Formats: sequence, structure tokens, C-alpha cells
Amino acid sequence: MGRAFHLARLELKRYFADRADLAFGIALPIVLFAVMTGALGENAGFRATMHVADLDGGPLAHRILGQVNDSESISVRRYTRDELADALRRTAILTGFVIPPGFSASIESGIPASIVVEQRGSGGDEGQIVVGVVREAARKAVSAIELRRAIGVLAGDSAGDERVDEVVQQLLTEAHHHPSVEVVTDPMHVPEASELDRLLAGIVVMFLLFSATLSARALIAERRSGTLERLVTTQLSPGELFIGKFLGGVGRAMVQSFLLLGLAFAVLGVAGPLAFAQCLILALVVAATVTSVGLVVAALARTDEQAAFSAVLVTMIMSVFGGTFFPTAGAGWLEVLSRFSLNTYAVDAFMGLFSGTGRLADQELELAVLGGVAITGLVIARTMFRVSSSPLQS
Amino acid sequence: MDTYLQAEALAKRFDGVAAVDGISFVIRTKEIFGLLGPNGAGKTTTIRMLSTILAPDAGDVRIGGHSVIHERDEVRKRIGVCPQELALYPELSAFDNLVFFGRMTGLSGRAAKARARAVLAEVGLEDRGGETVKKYSGGMKRRVNIAIALMNRPELLFLDEPTVGIDPQSRNKIFETVLGLRDEGTTVLYTTHYMEEADRLCDRIGIMDRGRIIAVGTPAELKRQVGDPARTTLEEVFLRLTGRKLRD
Ligand SMILES: Nc1ncnc2c1ncn2[C@@H]1O[C@H](COP(=O)(O)OP(=O)(O)O)[C@@H](O)[C@H]1O
Ligand SMILES: [Mg+2]
Repeated sequence: MGRAFHLARLELKRYFADRADLAFGIALPIVLFAVMTGALGENAGFRATMHVADLDGGPLAHRILGQVNDSESISVRRYTRDELADALRRTAILTGFVIPPGFSASIESGIPASIVVEQRGSGGDEGQIVVGVVREAARKAVSAIELRRAIGVLAGDSAGDERVDEVVQQLLTEAHHHPSVEVVTDPMHVPEASELDRLLAGIVVMFLLFSATLSARALIAERRSGTLERLVTTQLSPGELFIGKFLGGVGRAMVQSFLLLGLAFAVLGVAGPLAFAQCLILALVVAATVTSVGLVVAALARTDEQAAFSAVLVTMIMSVFGGTFFPTAGAGWLEVLSRFSLNTYAVDAFMGLFSGTGRLADQELELAVLGGVAITGLVIARTMFRVSSSPLQS
Repeated sequence: MDTYLQAEALAKRFDGVAAVDGISFVIRTKEIFGLLGPNGAGKTTTIRMLSTILAPDAGDVRIGGHSVIHERDEVRKRIGVCPQELALYPELSAFDNLVFFGRMTGLSGRAAKARARAVLAEVGLEDRGGETVKKYSGGMKRRVNIAIALMNRPELLFLDEPTVGIDPQSRNKIFETVLGLRDEGTTVLYTTHYMEEADRLCDRIGIMDRGRIIAVGTPAELKRQVGDPARTTLEEVFLRLTGRKLRD
């Protein structure tokens, strides 16, 4: 048995010595992580700019711009009249705002005044939204002034200005705390987060399967070159040889899992050593499963080319139908097919743990399927395991 | 002289065709025995049966008194096998290869390292043992391939065409190594299709053709069958025996 461990250790040593293997199994998925995270992170929030020439500079204009700037998604950028016109002409911007001179004073004294919107074409989606936000801010600011004037009129001259101010302030504060109409946004973080969860889990599993099945080629090469025969003429039994190769494969997959899962945790911001430990235990089961699939490929394939082809085919089919790139639940026949993919179970189980709340013990079905495949694969691979490429082997 | 290996009526068929067709011969203790024959003669198949890899269809072999069929483990303790192909891990250093195979034969870590250093010196690679085998020349790779077979200090060493396609320098180093091993008491089975190599190196030669051993003897004895040993080559012996040239 000690010999099987030495053999497994050698496999790990060979893994670290093979740069191409490392690049494919670790660097490539890391690059994919980065691309996917970037792609999914982009639509996280809406950001826009209000391009404005404030020719008024009065208190009301100031208040409106302040309000727009305070909104989470829109920032204010100031221009001179000429700069704004120029930017519009160059199509650097599609929507510009001009607050005319005397705007604040005019409104204060009850004479209507406008903020002018200058647009190229429709002004673009972003422009439309900014216009809406500015209109809302203007209405809010102006309504305070109108309210004040209305109360002043109703109270006549008998009430002092101070008293009117006080009432207006009170009403506004009241309205602020208990608005009659309110639009509440309910941020749907859940579906977005789980999309990233799925992709990262999917990439981890896909590359584990890729590496494990592709390593079948190395085993076939060893069978052809005679290292396996040579090992048998030392005192290693074919059984020990098989176990050593299996343990070596599991070791390689665990190195890969440790690095990729660590990175996935960092990207997803999943906290907690407990969640990570559970992920590693799950990774051990997945490693055993993919290694056993790899050994089956090595047992069935006769040539290098057959092995490479089978590895790519198995990995791609399992990954595509296994919910790596898109969810398959509720997708009719796709969901039925997905039940035959290992990746479905592995990805589901990892996603459960990525959420930070799931427990490994709850993933009974997934663990059972993965373990079952691992054992079945090992039995098949062991039965068909050949040390020599000659058809008639002792 | 004692007999170290005794093969009796050894046979192997592949897909109904006899690769080895009932051969019997002995190898004496501490001699270099050559199996000389063209490609496809059955040399490698013979070695694979002698070294417990391939089960014979018929016959048996005793090595150091033990049957390759019934006492495989006893036999495996006594033999070192250097296969025709490079059977090693090119992405690792020669030293790491040696230590690994040494451990597989049952050496402790420390013993395997000490033995690896000694064996590297024996094949003339003591200065370059730390480099990955991938970077070696063909001849150096072959020397590592041989060195691996020496890790367990075998009583009987199988060398299957160890000099195919290598530079003269490595070839000479290999000859030197083989002769040195014989002098230290190792018995060697050496296969080749180069007749001058067999002539120069081997104490006794079995000429093999189409699965059969058609003549056995010292180089001089074999040549005497054709004419004056001093003026005859093994090539001519082969031609006389088979009606064909050795290299086709
Ligand atoms: N594994 C095998 N399967 C089928 N035929 C084989 C196998 N190994 C050897 N042979 C055949 O047996 C014959 C002897 O081969 P081999 O022992 O390799 O000869 P040599 O080593 O003298 O070149 C050849 O005809 C070869 O094609
Ligand atoms: Mg051969």
C-alpha cells in the first residue's frame, strides 16, 4: 500500500512539472473566472451623468442640481454654455441641460421659468432617464416655493413671514417622513448572485473533469512506452498500480480544487472557513468521481487520439447539459438530459455551499449520485485496467 | 559454470501466429548472453516472458531456481528490466526517476537516493542527474533507461536493444557499463540486431529467427560453423543458417 502512495506522490510531482497541464487546469479557468465576473459585474448598476450649463447660479438651481447629484446613479457635470453646445455638436453627449439666467429669481416671484433640455435625436436611453430624474428634482424644489407662496396668500398679510416659513417647513418635513405616494425599490440581488455562483461552480467542475479525463492520455502513453510494464516487474502489483494512479488523480484534482475554490470564494465574497471546508469535502467526492471517469476513458481508449477525443466529448456534453452555462431546471427536455450529467449534481452541490447558508449534509442526492458514479467507474476501470498495450496480457 | 536461467519449450502466439516458437536455452551465471536476430524475430517477446510480464502459452523458465510462472515475486526480486522503449518519466529529472523506481522495488527513501547516485555514476551521468530527462540527448536517455534497471542490484539484467539509434559515445559508455556489471557478477541477457555489437560484447550468443533459436554458442564457435573464425563475421553465419541477410 505504501507503494501506491509513492506512486500517487510521483503523479503529483509530474503534475507540477508539466507546465502545459498546470496552465490548462488552473490558469485557464482563472482567466475564465475573470472574464465571467467582469461580464456579469457590468450590469450591476445604472450610471449616468447630467450635463448642465447653469447660467442662473441661483439658490433654486443649486438645490435642484444638488438633489440630482445626491441620487445614487446620476452625477452632475457642469459646462459653460459654449462647452455644452460644443459637446452636443460633437456628439460627445446626447442630452444637455441649460438653466437660463434669472431662473431662480423668476420662480421665487411666481413667474414660470423653464430648464431647457437640448438633445440630439431622442437623447438616448440614458438621456431620457436623466431628464426624468431632473424633472422630478425640479418639481420637488419648486413645490416647496409654491407651497410657501400659497400659504402666504391664504394667510394674508396678517401672518408674518416667519410664521409662514415655519408652517411650510413643518409640512415639508411631515411629507418627507410620510409621503403619500412612495415608489419602493426591492433590489433583486438573488438571481444575479446565483448566476455568478453557477458559472464559477460550473467552471470549477468543468475543468476538474477536463483535467481528469485528459490525463487518460498520459496513462495510455505509459502503457505504450512500457513504464506500466516496468512497474509491474518491480514489485508493484497491478492492483497497487491502479490504486496509485487513482490516488494521484484525486490529489491532482484536489490541488486544482483548492486553488479554484479559494478564488471562487474570494470573487463571490463567501465568508467562512466552515463553508470552505465543506466545499473541500465536496471537492474530494467530485475529485474521486472525475478521476474514476478519467480511468474509464483510459481503459476504453486504445490511442492517444481516442482518449483526447473522448475527454473533450465527455467534458463538453456533461458541462453543457449539466447547467454550467445556463440553468436547466424547468427547461423541459433539457432538464431531463441534465439528470444524466455529473456536472448537474456537482454544480448544484457547490452552488448550495457558495450561498453561504447551505450545508453539505443537505446535498444527499448530489453526494449519492457522485459517489455512485465514482464507485461504478472504479469497478469498470479496474476490471478493464491493462498494464500492457498487447492484447494478450498475463 | 552454473546455469542461472533455464528456458524450456517457451512459446507465445499472437493472433494465432507464433512470435516465439518453443525455444529452449540456458544462460550461465555471470555471463553476457546475446540474443541476436532481425526485427520481428521474437527477442522482445522472449524478454517479456522471461521477465514475468507476459505469460507464456507453453513452457516455463527458471531464474535463479524460481519459475517465472509460479514464483513471480521471487523472480522479480532478482531481475532488472531495461525495455526497448524508453520507459521513464521525461518531465522529471534522472535522479527523481531513479529514486522513484528504487522505492518501487522496495528501497527506503534514503537507500534509494544513495543507490541513485551510485547508479548515475555507473552510467556516466553523475554530473547531470538533476536535469529533466526531456533535455537529454537520445543516448543519455537510454543510459537513464538502463540505470533504472540497476536500482535493485539485479542478479540478472535484461537489456532489450539498448543501443538503437544513439551516438557512438553513449554506445561505448553502455558497453563499458555492461562489461563492468558482468565483472561485478551480474548476469546479462542482451538483445540486438547489430551483429558486430553481439560479437564484441557477448560471451555466448543465441541466433534467433522467426521465433526460433537456430544456433547457440560463443562467437568463435558460431563462426567456426562457416569457416575460419578469424575471417568470418556473424553476418555470414546468419546468411548461411537462414539464406537471408541479417538486416533487411
Ligand atoms: N503485442 C503483440 N501483439 C501482436 N503481435 C505481436 C505483439 N508483440 C509482438 N508481436 C509480433 O510478434 C513477432 C515478434 O515480435 P518481437 O518479439 O517484438 O520481435 P523483436 O523484438 O525480435 O523485434 C512480430 O511479428 C510481432 O509483430
Ligand atoms: Mg524487440
